[in-house]
Amino acid sequence: MLNILVCVKQVPDVNLVKMDPFTGSLIRAGVPAILNPHDAYALEAAVQTKERYGGTVTCVTMGPDQAVEALRECLAAGADRAVLLSDRAFANADTLATSYVIATAAKLLGSFDLIFCGKESLDGATGQMASQLAERFDASQLSCVSLIEKLDGEKKTVLALRELEKGTETCEAQLPCLMTVEKTNYHPRIPNLKSWKASRTAEIEKYSAQTIPGLDPEQIGDPGSPTKVPRTYPPVVGAKGMMIDEGSAAKNAAKLLALVSDIL
Amino acid sequence: MKNKNEYKDMWVFIEHDGKQILPVSLELCCETRKLCDAAGEKLAAVVVGELPQSEIGKVLDCGVEKLIRVSGTGYAFPNIDAYTHLFTVLCRKYEPSAVMVGGTVFGRDFAPRFACRLPTGCTSDATELVYDSKTGDIEFVEPAVGGKMMAVITVPVMRPQVGTIRPGTFKYAPSGRREWVEIQARVDFPEEKIRTRILGFQADDLDESLNITGAEVIICVGNGLKGADALPRYRELAALMGGKLACTRPVFDRGILPFKLVIGQSGVVVKPKLYIGFGISGAVNHITGISDSDRVVAVNSDPDAPIFNYCDYGIVGDMNAVCEAMIEALKEKQKQ
Repeated sequence: MLNILVCVKQVPDVNLVKMDPFTGSLIRAGVPAILNPHDAYALEAAVQTKERYGGTVTCVTMGPDQAVEALRECLAAGADRAVLLSDRAFANADTLATSYVIATAAKLLGSFDLIFCGKESLDGATGQMASQLAERFDASQLSCVSLIEKLDGEKKTVLALRELEKGTETCEAQLPCLMTVEKTNYHPRIPNLKSWKASRTAEIEKYSAQTIPGLDPEQIGDPGSPTKVPRTYPPVVGAKGMMIDEGSAAKNAAKLLALVSDIL
Repeated sequence: MKNKNEYKDMWVFIEHDGKQILPVSLELCCETRKLCDAAGEKLAAVVVGELPQSEIGKVLDCGVEKLIRVSGTGYAFPNIDAYTHLFTVLCRKYEPSAVMVGGTVFGRDFAPRFACRLPTGCTSDATELVYDSKTGDIEFVEPAVGGKMMAVITVPVMRPQVGTIRPGTFKYAPSGRREWVEIQARVDFPEEKIRTRILGFQADDLDESLNITGAEVIICVGNGLKGADALPRYRELAALMGGKLACTRPVFDRGILPFKLVIGQSGVVVKPKLYIGFGISGAVNHITGISDSDRVVAVNSDPDAPIFNYCDYGIVGDMNAVCEAMIEALKEKQKQ
């Protein structure tokens, strides 16, 4: 039986986040939190793999209590088990500290053959979690997977296609393997009403810093994060360009083409 | 751990295919050269495996003072296991203050991994690098939260400071050769410990319409686009102007155009003579990819769209109507 782990994140819908022009801070109030879109592809790949080869899919996230909503979405879309890692001590973690908490907690959940995660998050968007989780799990690593072709239980390998810069690579990796997947073949399914309802009341396992044995307080949250964000500022905005307003689309087009005629 | 001031030299990983160096590696050499000058440190390039002397010359032209030539087993093809091990060993032995890696698929795969193993801090996708002489840290400046703000990221205690930087972010402008030394390093990684095996590679068809990097005219559509049905007119306009069609990230996310056409921080950086953006709000992530255009034109129905602050000429209006009017005008001109 395959043991599959999917690492997910709840993110603010950044398209709706606005910046306070006076304080320079982000206005997150009222912005809906969603399951990171790339994680939904990862989950879909995990669930399809489970449906083909049998096994269980566990979803794990580190975040505030509200993140259970993202986990319920995962349960509705085919995950069997959901785990929330939540503690104030985890706050302000960079990818190094986050990968440490997730990998340490995962030891309590079992030994995983396949680990999936999204290639980047909508908000942080560093794209570093996959590599650092793979390191923490001591797993082989395949990024940009467009199709999982075959799992070989005896050889303990996975065969996959990867979409690289200049073409498609066929690659075989030893298990355990951590993969990030492309949307290409893994469009997230729409949960049916029954599974959605079941997910509302399903049990979500919770762990805190105290209930994860052996967790080193120096490696979590802010103390465990080597990268810092000393300051943020609004993007530098240039002067407004010359506005063309000749009264109609046709006149505007003509004026514009005249202005760029030296290039064309 | 040692004091961070004891870590010296800034490194650039030279990614290559045995024949040619990827442009991003040379771009990083040029940009890191400036950081080294500000910090009073030496610039080192790490070359793994064989490379023609003419290519090595390009690295030296960027003012590299140390050429670290790595030999050994395990590097016949790019694989995360051997390269993670290699950079962990090299960083522990030579203690550089920074390691810059091109933000290619491979670079983004292995750099965060060796940073995790060392361990140290790793940043990705900076669009600006500044050396802060007060702290001795590099400031990695990057758009954050969908481009709503700029974030300064530092690695204030640990070393090296690792960064992956997207291709095209910095200019290739070699500052000339300096005195340099070659350092030979042999690090073997047992081939049987490599956990991935490449069994085949199918190169993408060379579809020139998808190669927007060198286009002189770019017609770019943003999230204002209603759907795929609205696209043909923009293709037509691009064709009439001898240019190429491109898009912003949300248009790709909606499944309308392929990723290769995405301009911006997470896509391609372009430097056309003329860029015309239709229905684009102007998030910094996108602006990052067009800021080296000779001339920028923006068309948007929202007069307050931020893109009007980055353009040379702006038109407030319906994107489809303006596009069609331009097509009409260009066709009229062709007739004459």
